[in-house]
Amino acid sequence: MNQKYKTYLVGYGFLLPWLIGLFGLYLGPIVASFYLSFTSYDLFNPPKWIGADNYVNMFRDDYRLKDSIIVTFKYVFFSVPLRLAFALFLAILLNQKLRFLGMYRTIYYIPSLLGGSVAISILWKQVFDKTGLFNQGLSFLGIEGPSWISDPAYAIFSLVGLSVWQFGAVMIIFLAGLKQVPTELYEAATVDGAGAIRKFIRITLPLLTPVIFFNLVITLIQSFQTFTKAFIISNGSGGPINSTLLYSLYLYIKGFSFLEMGYASAMAWILLFIIAIFTGLLFLTSRYWVYYSDGGR
Amino acid sequence: MLKKQSWLVLVIVMVLVLSACSSNNNNAANNTTTPAPAPEQEKAPAVEKEPAAENVELRMAWWGSQVRHDRTLQAIEKFEEKNPNIKIVAEYSGFDGYFDKLSTQIAAGNAPDLVQMGGNIKEYVDRNAILALDPYIGTTLNVDKFSDSLIKEATFDNQYYGVTIGVSGFGLLVNETMFEKAGVPLPTVDWTYEDLKSIANQVSEKLGKGFYGSYDLSGNKSSLGDYLASEGKQIYTKGGLGFTKEDMIEWFNMWSELRASGGIVPAEVQVANDPTAADKSLVAKGQVAMQYASASQIYGFQTLTEDKLGLYTSPKGSKGTGMIPPVSGQFMTVYSKSAHPEEAAMFIDFMVNDPDAAAILGNDRGVPPSSEMRDVLAGQSTPVDKVLYDFISLSTEVASNFDYEIVPFDNEFTKLLQLTSEQIGFGQLKVEVAVDQFMTEADKIVKKK
Repeated sequence: MNQKYKTYLVGYGFLLPWLIGLFGLYLGPIVASFYLSFTSYDLFNPPKWIGADNYVNMFRDDYRLKDSIIVTFKYVFFSVPLRLAFALFLAILLNQKLRFLGMYRTIYYIPSLLGGSVAISILWKQVFDKTGLFNQGLSFLGIEGPSWISDPAYAIFSLVGLSVWQFGAVMIIFLAGLKQVPTELYEAATVDGAGAIRKFIRITLPLLTPVIFFNLVITLIQSFQTFTKAFIISNGSGGPINSTLLYSLYLYIKGFSFLEMGYASAMAWILLFIIAIFTGLLFLTSRYWVYYSDGGR
Repeated sequence: MLKKQSWLVLVIVMVLVLSACSSNNNNAANNTTTPAPAPEQEKAPAVEKEPAAENVELRMAWWGSQVRHDRTLQAIEKFEEKNPNIKIVAEYSGFDGYFDKLSTQIAAGNAPDLVQMGGNIKEYVDRNAILALDPYIGTTLNVDKFSDSLIKEATFDNQYYGVTIGVSGFGLLVNETMFEKAGVPLPTVDWTYEDLKSIANQVSEKLGKGFYGSYDLSGNKSSLGDYLASEGKQIYTKGGLGFTKEDMIEWFNMWSELRASGGIVPAEVQVANDPTAADKSLVAKGQVAMQYASASQIYGFQTLTEDKLGLYTSPKGSKGTGMIPPVSGQFMTVYSKSAHPEEAAMFIDFMVNDPDAAAILGNDRGVPPSSEMRDVLAGQSTPVDKVLYDFISLSTEVASNFDYEIVPFDNEFTKLLQLTSEQIGFGQLKVEVAVDQFMTEADKIVKKK
């Protein structure tokens, strides 16, 4: 009734800035890109309708696309679990009563503030170069490190590393989740003689599953769309030998360097499709492993 | 309940989380600038005004090294002094990403008024992005001291589109000090590819670990072009590829041998130290003795090292050096939708005909196209200027005479060549297999559209 109506109004009111952004900045280009994906468009001449040719060529003709997809999957499947694991680990550490706790939390959060930027990617490139800081450190241990950024076997892992380093936002959310676990449960478990590990596996993890689920979905989606790191570290090339050719980077090259905007738009929609499938899978399987303590879904 | 302090921390953290979350999502097309030393300046919209006495603001874009940025900015200041009603906003950057950005600006309809162009000027003329300058020639803009070939290069369909701002060529950029240290004689104009191999090997051997005779030029399109032309072939001719599989196998084998004998840098060093940027090149750092470069780049490179740098012509094959005669290194053009073409033309005229501008800009973009300006500069040449002049004269002499055809989809072809070079360099594919793939894909590229 009137009260309900008012609540909705307030809700939409708060959403309004974001809604304006959505309709004003995102929706138009999204629709346009769908249309463009069926055309051949080089930015200077008007788009020429070619039907589903872009999509067909993607699967039949494009040797680089195959590499790109493999590289992207590799990147996602390494960086997402590692990032979550690190974030959880640190969240647990930082959930204790330590002095200067606030300071520690801030320090561990800082990388993810800086992380998305060009500057950090450049620094990362320097640190992991053949003669960079990391290898200098390794040489003290007597190990001669390879060039982490320009050896095709390792380059993708330098990107994974950079992604994992930016675990801060995920960590904060885990922290919030940890704080919601009722302490009585731990106390009861201690009384029953449970050790730390058992407490973690039987109490913490199950109750954290909603938060894990949330972080997993968000991080997965973000991860598939990674661009900046790959662009900077590989100097825009996705090299060496396409080993850092993340999907978004390849899309960029196709669209802006080769001026095949129609093809790039088709790539964007395929990416959406891929992400949707994975997200859908996560949601579908969630009922089997996510436990909502309030019985919700 | 939480203490007040904790609330504060929590609120700050939340604000940071929200700002971090949003900044993560919008990175897509925004970060196309390169880690070049030159920062970008804010774009300002051109002020709409007609009579010349009114204040006019022009935007100008160019690429180059820091040396070029400094000199061009100085020249702009000088122009503004002489024309107080015209202000020029500079938008400069390194070469990486320059054309990507420009294409986007053109598509959006707001490219800068003055745009530096390279050998790809025809692409932009075909796309109606550049203004024909004929209405201004003779009045605002004078090119009568230019040689005819320079004007012809930028003339399409009988209209003149770009003013040459520097005459340059391509060739080998050599660190002569390293050769001295190694006790190896410098290349001569008659050297062959066999000589190149033995010289590279000798330099590496004599200087020891961590020093190399040359960069790997197998992935460099201009270098390949010279090699093919030195045997009378071309990359692209008459609608298709101008070379055979055997040519490519020989080319890549030559560099594979050099890699195995240590004469050239190993693959991962090549990838990590891009020779096209002066601040990344190992030649400027005294670790590699030879690389391929655009001749006018010598300025940017020389300022970064005490070692003496020189320019040399490509090795000779059975049909000569295969080099293209020095051509316009860059053109200055006017955007077809510029609101102030007259003032833009005035600036271009200043750049190529004003002695003050010539003194400031020097030879950084190449030898000045106007014979009058060359005379002005003759008085103040530095040793590096002399190296460039001598090289330009020499390469004009030994250039091969043939009708050079521009490779279509140049960008894609270059990337393909580099990919193939890397696949071979890292040992991922054998030369024959890699070349097979290369030939198939290259054929597809040049036959597109």
